[in-house]
This record gives sequence, structure tokens and C-alpha cells, in this order.
Amino acid sequence: MPQVIKVDSLVKKYGNFTAVNGISFEVNKGEIFGLLGENGAGKTTTLEMIEGLRKLTSGKITVLGEDISGGCKDSIKEKIGVQLQSSAYYAFLNLYEILDLFGSFYTTRLQPDELLKMVDLDSKRKSLVNNLSGGQKQRFSIVASLVNNPEIVFLDEPTTGLDPLARRNLWDLITKIKKQGKTIILTTHYMEEAEILCDRIAIMDKGKILKMGQTHRLIEGTKNPYKISFVAPNLEQKTYGQLAEIGIIENLAGKSDHFEMHIKTQKNLNKAVDIIQKLDPESLTVGRASLEDLFIELTGHNIGE
Amino acid sequence: MLKLFIADLKLVFRNRQYAFWAVMFPLLFTFMFGFFFGDKSTSGGNLILINNSDSQVATTLVKAIEDSKQFNINRDITDPEKAKEQVEKNKAAASLVIPKDFGAMLPNAPREIEVIYDPGNSTVNAILFGFLDQFINQATFQAAGVKEPLYSIKEVKTNPNELNYFDFILAGILGLALMNSNIISIAVGMSKYREDKILKRITTTPMKTWWFIVGEIASRLVMNFIQVSMILVIGKYLFHAHIYGNIFVVYLLALLGAVLFQLLGFVIASFVKTTDAAQGAATAITIPMMFLGGVFFPIDTLPKWLFSIVQYLPIAPLLRIIRAAVLEGESPLANPTNLIIVFVWIFATLIIASWKFRLTED
Repeated sequence: MPQVIKVDSLVKKYGNFTAVNGISFEVNKGEIFGLLGENGAGKTTTLEMIEGLRKLTSGKITVLGEDISGGCKDSIKEKIGVQLQSSAYYAFLNLYEILDLFGSFYTTRLQPDELLKMVDLDSKRKSLVNNLSGGQKQRFSIVASLVNNPEIVFLDEPTTGLDPLARRNLWDLITKIKKQGKTIILTTHYMEEAEILCDRIAIMDKGKILKMGQTHRLIEGTKNPYKISFVAPNLEQKTYGQLAEIGIIENLAGKSDHFEMHIKTQKNLNKAVDIIQKLDPESLTVGRASLEDLFIELTGHNIGE
Repeated sequence: MLKLFIADLKLVFRNRQYAFWAVMFPLLFTFMFGFFFGDKSTSGGNLILINNSDSQVATTLVKAIEDSKQFNINRDITDPEKAKEQVEKNKAAASLVIPKDFGAMLPNAPREIEVIYDPGNSTVNAILFGFLDQFINQATFQAAGVKEPLYSIKEVKTNPNELNYFDFILAGILGLALMNSNIISIAVGMSKYREDKILKRITTTPMKTWWFIVGEIASRLVMNFIQVSMILVIGKYLFHAHIYGNIFVVYLLALLGAVLFQLLGFVIASFVKTTDAAQGAATAITIPMMFLGGVFFPIDTLPKWLFSIVQYLPIAPLLRIIRAAVLEGESPLANPTNLIIVFVWIFATLIIASWKFRLTED
């Protein structure tokens, strides 16, 4: 697949503080590429340097074959769509007027009504942004980044602060945009979101990329790719010791009879399942490791801890 | 570009807060000062007039007071005690009691008229006593058989036009309206756009920053045109303000002032981080200029050291040119110093705004 974005040894410093520390990655045409990390990891700064909103301290960025390290040219701005993190829009223009206005800044533009229909906001065309719900605002914010029918769409924390249902609606919308053949680069700190949406991810921490690759491959590549969760009130010390020899077992916080095991091999997984089944557990779930497990493995902590 | 301009116009006219500062606030001042000092106003307030004499002198005095149109005359009260009570209760500014036979050619006719007044009401007292002094002097000369007084005053006006305090104020209100609406709306508006990341969002589009700023300025100039027109129309036709200058020059000067104050707004927006800070900074700049820049009072009455500073505030030279144009019909080029100061301010704020004002952080 052809590359649409290439970032090489990118550095951004604010005085003595290094926000982005020599990262490199590529984004391929038509994929959803995710930058995953905590607040302050450098995700937004990276995205904004690619969008031309921040100057580079050093490094090189190429977008659609053009070097934009010195600033984003108008020819590139015509082909990208940007949704900023928790941004607002003009308070006294209605949805139709905002899309019509932003569309007028580009040579290629989509009809506001067509865009509003895409996100089920056609009945709200005359509403002000402030009168929309949180989910509707975010849907509008994303569709406003599509006014110029861009080749690349940048979404910065598109679902932050939304309830689970609104978040899932946005995932559907992002998938719909991908199906139109557009390349999407998004930042998120939601593991589940990255796992479901992103074809490839880069896990960032303290301005560096810790791991990058196809999402499923990264998860499969964790040290302990298998996971067992079970509830066993009668787990004795001896059995606990047996399980601890097979994998990493931990008591889930606050619940003395809830356990979780992380296991390296299929053989050990089978062994562990046999032992647990003999305990006649109240509940037993066997699955694979998640992105969250990988994140903890890489950073030593969960997001937000 | 046209769409941007139309959108900016909608934003300006739909923003009630801005509309208040731009139109309601200056109109409030126009009405307030118009009622106090406009042509229809009676600056002497309510005067209770009790005339118990039917002499020619008394009749002439009453007629002169009526013709002066300086007072609202109340003749319903005939009891001096009741009149005093009304003055004490501030229901009347003063009371004039002309005793029986005052001015009559009788041996024991009274020679005094009684004025009941509140010593704290200095403006009314000055008008009333000035008026009465002049009348009594003339009446005395006539009674003494003096046809023409020995000494008199020759009036030489620096401005041949008929002017009053409201005319002075009206030009001040024009400057005040331009200053408040433009400084506050640009400083607060741009800071809000920055907080809401609208400025940042615009930077990601191919729209030139220049066009964005031109759109913002142009839409406000339309509001300024309406603002200035309303003040002038209400001032002239409702309160009979005197406008002697070329109206085109007045609009041109208003435009110059609008640009200057908008640039000042951009300078504030360049330095503040939040909308609240912009509001505070804009107020901190406009309030002193409102009181020390010559909006309500001539600034040459200030102490010399203070005058030497405040005469260079942006609004002061602008008001001097506007007043010269409105009240005397004088060309702004007749006294170029003021125009030069205004242009120096425009140039300085333009340089600072171009240097410091950014749509994004970097």
C-alpha cells in the first residue's frame, strides 16, 4: 500500500521539555492509524505538527509526497481534513452555515446537506452547535473535517468524554469514512477504541514510540498472549501455587475470589484450564490478551494510573 | 471571501452582547445626555412660580422666565410654605415668590422677591440667580431712568456657531461607541475564538489569515457605520444637536477611529491567554480612556501634568479632530498634529499586532 504520511526522526521541544522525542512512522493509504497513549504522551503535538499547526524542532514530515517540515502548503491543506481535540465552532452560526462557510475555504467542497445527512444531523441543520448533545457535537465536529472531501482525515481524541453508546456510534461513523477510501490518523487513550478501529497503532509514552505495528500482531506478540479469568471461592494455597508455576496469577482488586491469569503458551493454557475446572469455578473465561495488557507490559502501568 | 464576510456579519449581528456594547450602550448615553443637555432640555429643572403682583415689572419677569425655556414652570402651588416643602423634598429645584405690589409705583411697595433654593443644587442656582441678577439690574436701570448702562460686555466667540454642552458630548459619545465596541469585541472575540480553537481550525484550511482578519474588521465596520448613523440621527433629530461639519468627513474620521480601536483590540488579544483576561484588559484600557480621554469633559481642565499625558491617549486626539469637524466644520488637515498622533497609534498598533497576533500557539 502506498504511504501517504512519512514521519522521520520528529522532535518537538518547548525549552528544556521534549514533548516529542525522535519518533518515526509511516501511514499507509486507506488505513486507520492510531496514536495510543496517555495525556501528555505527545500524541496531539505529533498530530498538530503533521497538520501544520506546530513548528518542528527537528525531523522531517512528508504528506502525500510533499515535504511539509517547513509548514503545510495550501495544496496539502486542500487534501486534508482536521478535527481538533475538544474544539468548538462559531456560536452564532447554525450547522448548515458553518459547513457552508468552511467549505468555501476550499476549491473542492461537499454539500452541507449531504454531510449532515451522513451523520444523521439533517434535521438539526438550523440548530446552533451549543444546542447539540455531546455525541451530536462530536459527530458534527468529525463531519466538519470532511467538507473538502479530504484524502487524509485527522481525528484527535474523537470520542473523549462520550458515553459508551455515543462512542460506538462514532466508531461506526469512522468505519464508514474509512470505507470511502480515506486514510484516517487518530489519537486516543481508549484501548478498546484503538483495538476495534485501528489497522495499525503506535503506542506512545513520554514523547517516544514504544511499539508500533498491526494491532492484532502487537497483541499476539505480547509476552503472555493468553488470558483466563475465573471465580473460585474455594481456591486453596496449594492449587494457587500450581497455577503460579504455569503463568502469572493475580487476585482482582477488591474481590478475594476473582482471579486473572496471563499465560505464555497454548500448552500452559490447557494445563491451567484443567486445574481450574477441577475447582468447579463459578465462572471461567478463556481469551486472548488485550491491547491494555500490552500497554501495561510496555509502560508498567495502566492509562490514567 | 464573500461568504466569510456574510458569515462574519451574521456573527456580529447575532451576538447580543456585542450588539449591546456597540449600539445600546452609546445610545443610552445619547438619550441620557440628550434629556439633560439637549435642545429640548430645561437645564434649570422644575421652578415653582408664585406671582402675587400684577405690576408690569412682575409680569415682564414672569414672561422672561417663561421665554427663557430654562425651567419647567409650576404655577399650581400658591402657598410659599408648601413651595418650600416641595423644594426640601427635591420635588422642585427652586421656588420664586413675587410679593403683592412688587414693582408697583407705590410708596411702600416691596422691593424684594423671594427665592427658596437648595444650596447643594449649584447648577440650578447658578442658572436661576444669573438670570434674576440680569433681570433685576435691567429693571433697576430702567427705574433709575438710565437708558443704557455705562459698562457692558462685548462677546467674541472663537466659534461663530451656536453650540451647547450636548453638542460637545455627542462627539464624545461617537468616540466612546467606536472605542468600546471595537476594543472589547475584537479582544474578547479573538480570545474566545482562540479558546474554542476556531483560529487553529481555520489555520488548517487554505484560507489566508489575512482574509480572515479582513472579514472580521469589515463586518465590524458595518456595525460601526450603523452605530455612528444612529447616534448622529438621534442626536440631531431628537435632541437638536448642532452638526456643522461635512458628514462624509465625520464618517471618514469614525472609520479611522474604528480601525485604530480594532487594532488595539488585536494587540490585547495578542497578549492575553483567556477570554476573561481579555475582558479585564479591555475594560482596564477603555475605562480610563472614557474618563480621561475627553469623552465627557474637556481635558484641558485637568492638572497640567495629567493633561500632558492623557492628551496622547488614542481617543483624545481622535475626539479633538471629530469635534473640530462636527462642531466647527474644520478640516482634519487644518491641525495636522492630532491626525499625526492618530496615525502614529495606528502604525504602532499595526506593527505590534502583526508581530504578536497569531492564530496558533506556534
